[in-house]
Amino acid sequence: MSGLKILEGKYIATMDLYPQEAKEFNRIYPFYQHLREGRFTTTRCKHCGHEPFPPRVICPECLSEDLQWIDLPTTGTVEEVTEEEVGVPLGFETPLIHALINLGGRLKLFSRIVRCQVGQLKEGDEVVLSVFTVDPVPIQIGRETILKDRVYYAFEPVKS
Amino acid sequence: MRNVCVIAGGMCKWGVREASLRDMFQEAGKECFNDNKAVTNKVIDGLLVASAYTERSAFQTHLAPVVAEYLGIKPKTICARVELLCASGSSGIILAYGLIRSGIADIVMVIGGEKLYMPEKWEVFYSELASVDHDWDGAQGLGLPPPAFAMVAKQHMKRYGTTKEQLAMVSVKNRRNGLNNPNAQFREPITLENALSAKNIVPPLTLYDCCPITDGCAAVILACEEKARDLTDKPLVYIKGTGQATLSNMSANMPSWTTWEALTIAAKQAYESAGIKPSDLDVGQTHDCFTISEIIEYEDLGFCEKGAGGLFIQEGKSDFGGQIPINTDGGLLSCGHPFGGTGIRQAIEIMHQLRGDAVRQVDGAKTGLTHNLSGFIAAHTVVVYGTEP
Repeated sequence: MSGLKILEGKYIATMDLYPQEAKEFNRIYPFYQHLREGRFTTTRCKHCGHEPFPPRVICPECLSEDLQWIDLPTTGTVEEVTEEEVGVPLGFETPLIHALINLGGRLKLFSRIVRCQVGQLKEGDEVVLSVFTVDPVPIQIGRETILKDRVYYAFEPVKS
Repeated sequence: MRNVCVIAGGMCKWGVREASLRDMFQEAGKECFNDNKAVTNKVIDGLLVASAYTERSAFQTHLAPVVAEYLGIKPKTICARVELLCASGSSGIILAYGLIRSGIADIVMVIGGEKLYMPEKWEVFYSELASVDHDWDGAQGLGLPPPAFAMVAKQHMKRYGTTKEQLAMVSVKNRRNGLNNPNAQFREPITLENALSAKNIVPPLTLYDCCPITDGCAAVILACEEKARDLTDKPLVYIKGTGQATLSNMSANMPSWTTWEALTIAAKQAYESAGIKPSDLDVGQTHDCFTISEIIEYEDLGFCEKGAGGLFIQEGKSDFGGQIPINTDGGLLSCGHPFGGTGIRQAIEIMHQLRGDAVRQVDGAKTGLTHNLSGFIAAHTVVVYGTEP
């Protein structure tokens, strides 16, 4: 089964399920560098103290551009679990498990849970940040094309 | 400020269509003109086209001039595309209303729809990752999110005692309402037993709790009252008020999963601008993308107390003969959901209800409402229609 021959071997950014993380394409690239160090971070406004997530280049409260990187907790408590067994988007494995997790009262977000079986995770369980590599992106710099490594995050159950 | 009326509406057959986006825009435009022979493509001065996935599923940007050309419309006041995913159509209606009300345009067609079935089916689910914040929620595998609505359902059940049976009653009602709708994707009834024994999608949501993937297109024509009086001998249907609100986009910033605060804001804005209370409404089309959505919408649109949405369906209050019949043409659960088309399909049904010529008519309906949610429950759009301005 083949598609258009002219596209064979080509990388198409609009078909990429992960973000452009490289410095050349993204001003919040430190977030992804921090992930590689096992840190889950966001930006804090030095002017008003607001800590939005995801990280920003301006503060959405006071519009200041004076921001600093801060660490968020890398462990959280599960508030709700969902388990998707059909209709999972290409690129994700079945079952696709998500949970609403609370990171120490600082942030509540809906995250994918990896290394987890259906029925395993319950309300109140602890999860921890899980960083993994995703497909690198070819980036054309001058006449050269180089491959830029990428990482992304999910959370996984804490082994008891 | 001028009064604005809906003077025509029509849609093509919705479902898995052997047709392109261009084909369906032509079919829906033709059906819309068929609804009112006094309005032709020659009298339209503005065109708004509502479509969300056009660059992805039709490889077509600059869509409005394409549609204008295919429908023989030569706009002179506005010719542009509007996108707010599932609320693209109702956003187009609000914008057309504003343009006509302010005197910038006189007669505007709002047409919207999607081609979602691709040669290979995986592509639509993959594209859906762009419907949420792609770099964050999308990269977590959350597309048009059954998991998010499953979480909402679980929390609503836990907090308010809503039951799986009550969810199922929404799909049974809406499938029954869609039975005689010739354009609906599904026209077969389901029983409570069918709904309760259907396969899991994301528990507690099962097959009939979720609206399908749909190809389709729909169109309405709005006009200032003065032109409307010349162009139709049917009862006039006015837009009375509108509201559209958003408080957050990414899941991490949702204020509450069981009370949709942006909906309460949009509803308040729409009711105040229309000069009505929820109890003045006779009929409504709300965004039943999932059964739990319709239940929460009863509450946050003010039809019942917070937490009483499950009882509202159970006691028949959203059915014919009840307090306010909801999704009288079958809703998203029966008609399907081609994103840009849905708000327009709802407007067409309210137009028919207020003219008194709906397939399943609510007797004496004078005031009606449409509601869309869009994205990760991130924005809400409400439009109030009436037989009086």
